[in-house]
Amino acid sequence: MSNWRIRIVLGAALLAACTATHAELNLEPLPAELWSQSLAAHLASRAGFGATEDELRALARLSPRQAVQRFIRGLDDPDLPEFEHSGIFDPGLDPFPPSRPATTTLAKRQGHALGVNVKPGGNRPLQPVVNKFFYWLRASRLETDRVSYWWANRMLRTGHPLQEKAALFWHGHFATNEDKVRDYRKMLQQLSVFQTKGLGNFRDLLIAVAQDPAMLVFLDAGVNTKDSPNENFAREIMELFTMGVGNYSENDVQEAARAFTGWNVRGLEFHVNQDDHDDASKSFLGQQGNFDGVQVIDIIMRQPVTAEFIAAKMYRYFVNEDLDAADEAQLGALLASLDFDIGEFLTVVFSSQEFYAPANVGTHIKSPVELMVSTYRRLGLQKVPGVPDFNVVSEALGQRLMHPPTVAGWSEGRSWITPSLLFERSNFVLDSLFPDIGFIPPDRYPSYGSEVVKVQERLRQGMSVSAATKPTGVAAGADTMAASNLLADRDEDFNTRLGSMRGWQMALERVKPIGRHTAPVDLTAWTIGAECTTSRQVVELFASQFFAVDLAPVTVDGLASFLHAELGTDDIQASVSFLETPLRKLLHRMLSLPEYQLG
Amino acid sequence: MSGHINRRNLLKGASAAAGLSWLPAIAAQPADRTTPILVAIELSGGNDGLNSVVPHGDDAYYRHRPTIGIAANELLELDDHYGLNPGMLGLHRLWQDGDLAIVHGCGYERPSYSHFTSMAYWHTGVPHRGNEFGWMGRVADQLATSRRDDMLINIGATQSLAVKSRRHTPVVFDDPERFQRHGWMAPQVSIETAQVSNTPAREFLHAVDRSAQASSQRIRQAWRGYQTPVDYGIAPMDLPKVAACIDAGLSTQLYHVSFRNNSFDTHVAQPALHRRLLSYACDGIYGFIRDLKRIGADHRVLVLVYSEFGRRVPENANMGTDHGSANVMFLAGTGVTGGHYGEQPSLTELVDGDNLAFTTDFRQVYATAMQGWLGVDAHRVLGDQYSLIPALSKLT
Repeated sequence: MSNWRIRIVLGAALLAACTATHAELNLEPLPAELWSQSLAAHLASRAGFGATEDELRALARLSPRQAVQRFIRGLDDPDLPEFEHSGIFDPGLDPFPPSRPATTTLAKRQGHALGVNVKPGGNRPLQPVVNKFFYWLRASRLETDRVSYWWANRMLRTGHPLQEKAALFWHGHFATNEDKVRDYRKMLQQLSVFQTKGLGNFRDLLIAVAQDPAMLVFLDAGVNTKDSPNENFAREIMELFTMGVGNYSENDVQEAARAFTGWNVRGLEFHVNQDDHDDASKSFLGQQGNFDGVQVIDIIMRQPVTAEFIAAKMYRYFVNEDLDAADEAQLGALLASLDFDIGEFLTVVFSSQEFYAPANVGTHIKSPVELMVSTYRRLGLQKVPGVPDFNVVSEALGQRLMHPPTVAGWSEGRSWITPSLLFERSNFVLDSLFPDIGFIPPDRYPSYGSEVVKVQERLRQGMSVSAATKPTGVAAGADTMAASNLLADRDEDFNTRLGSMRGWQMALERVKPIGRHTAPVDLTAWTIGAECTTSRQVVELFASQFFAVDLAPVTVDGLASFLHAELGTDDIQASVSFLETPLRKLLHRMLSLPEYQLG
Repeated sequence: MSGHINRRNLLKGASAAAGLSWLPAIAAQPADRTTPILVAIELSGGNDGLNSVVPHGDDAYYRHRPTIGIAANELLELDDHYGLNPGMLGLHRLWQDGDLAIVHGCGYERPSYSHFTSMAYWHTGVPHRGNEFGWMGRVADQLATSRRDDMLINIGATQSLAVKSRRHTPVVFDDPERFQRHGWMAPQVSIETAQVSNTPAREFLHAVDRSAQASSQRIRQAWRGYQTPVDYGIAPMDLPKVAACIDAGLSTQLYHVSFRNNSFDTHVAQPALHRRLLSYACDGIYGFIRDLKRIGADHRVLVLVYSEFGRRVPENANMGTDHGSANVMFLAGTGVTGGHYGEQPSLTELVDGDNLAFTTDFRQVYATAMQGWLGVDAHRVLGDQYSLIPALSKLT
């Protein structure tokens, strides 16, 4: 074990010597005398979700080493609640068939499915089964939204923000989407793996994820059997989770798939179907043996490129997305020399002079979740507001928790910003400071599936099911009608649109509502408490609390005159009774600046 | 203020970064209703081309796909050798109208079986080497050699590498109604947003901010002014938004949309799902072409449909297929001469682990679109000479 590690370190040293023109990353610890509150703010924004003025002052009083340890180990969390289940699951739902057609086929064959019997006669005998199918789809999705809220609240209130930040990193790295997993329990269980192992040993984390039910379902591992190896799981483990493309052959993918055959899920437990497992010899990355999945993972762990791939990805996430490829070997050697201990690796990184170099401060584009949580944290909120809806906003900004867009997770960095996403970020600030009185809670009213509401309306007007479930807005005749609409509702055994509507109703009865409080913001008290007397001082106060980079003097001038004009005076103390609205308008304008996206 | 003065402000803004957020609508290039337009549609996830355009006249197809092969009598017939997946009613109608070109065997040397790597090759048009900019972005750089607004429109949640350009900032939006910075009692003092330091990230943010402010009102006006009786089906891939922009006379010549979320990444229980995905995609494309006819713009628009790879020829044991190589591409529109192009790869002489050997370099199709349709020198964009596909009436 130690031999190959020494070789890597030597190899990296040799490489560094050969490429003398390229400067290595300076991973030496930052001298304590250089520590300051602004560097503490940098640490808090990267190793966590930002900090309030009080927290920053406390961090600045520590040594840099102690401050980093506070993020690595965290403070005690007095009262972070466990997730409160609504109680939507029942055993009949497990195993959940892959699709509605698979469910109705199963029900026809065996007379029941999802814990519901087929009606012996009458109209639409399969309807109760179809209703239950849609109930679970809807209920699991809504409950997943509650899991996301629970997690966002942890990010906001935790005394160990790096634990949640690292979990968010791993959620993007080991991306699974509830849309395919279709079981909030598995998503919650996976999140717990990221939270408890995300700062531990990478091998332990990797094995836990490879045996995690959500991941196994997401990458179709359940159908990977001796007689028909499915490559999806094996390919993504190597391409996305450990080595990166180009470091293995197609043959390695096929051989690894054989090693993972039989890996499956039983309820919420990892389970190996020995009958499906191929225990014959495999040839993988130049080695021969009767490997199983864990042995394949251990061979992957021994590839130098694995340490480089993981270390470089963490560095790009926590420090700077523009990492020079020539520096990857240095970081990989560091991670390998620390026995893949993620917490120790991040300790070195967060303590290093490199981390605090000007090129790495205020140059990171905040992810949507970072943006939202850090804004709330800096506003001093104790709870994530229910208005605006955290999940709706984070989806609009491109990072809905539990729903990464593809198996590769989120692209991070500049990909977070498009013209319209820049506007959405500003609109998030407006919606937090001036709650939308037209807000409709999406966990109660199906705002993204209004067709089911129309179906319900027509049924209430007394229409037949067939008439009520005909698609709306289709004026043209069958010769130009879309195929997808032509195909609707052919089966007389059940009606899917009716099932979808009834499923919504049933989910609504069971899933607990999300609280819809608004953000209790008091900018007046803060401004007065900070003894601001002029508009310019207010702008400077907000700038120091919210921004990682300096604003141009001309921008500060413009903002100060804006506040002055709104107040009709430059005397802040005399304006206390009507200060709040102008302050919020000012803050909205400030947080709409392009610079606010930098952390 | 005249449009001319606004225009100058805008250009000045590019260097001095004047605050423009509260200015009235800025006219872009004058509306020109004759220039050609290219709309690229991405079916991401690796569409199974063999189960899209099915060679029912080839027994080898059914030998490779005993359970998921589609019987000839279920297909939408094209001729005695090919039929379309029964979900592809929309493209079948275009075929009957003579507006659909099917290009067979599209791929490249030493194919990657990774979604992300292969998609990056398709987005840049540079397999194995890659490029900092996308192929459509480089086309835009040829079309206008100095920075212009609205050169490229990419509708989607995130920006595609395909539209990344050296000179132009693509207009990227998802919901046009939300493509707006909301205000509050619209206060109208502009705040200057000059930069104090020029880190790359900060410059990037300012460039996007400028582009957003310049384009958002035009896009929203286009969307609000648009109404259509055409049935695009239930997942129209943002094509009605493209139609709205064209209808409003935007100067944009390059549009990129996609079927969202890697949806075509199916491995298991594929037939029903694949048919459904294809029906959505094809409904959207057919609706789009009909809508263009309605607004009299169909003769200007070429539609190009692509995916990052096809699927392996033999089915897997889960009623699905795994990542493969060569695939079909489609060109659609009134300017297209319908028919088959390129050569169907052999189903008996497979390469590289049961895969199709490509017969058409996908950049031939790109070159056809840029040179044959947009009049851009394909050699300058692609760095190589590619023979064009003779599927555009203009060429023949």
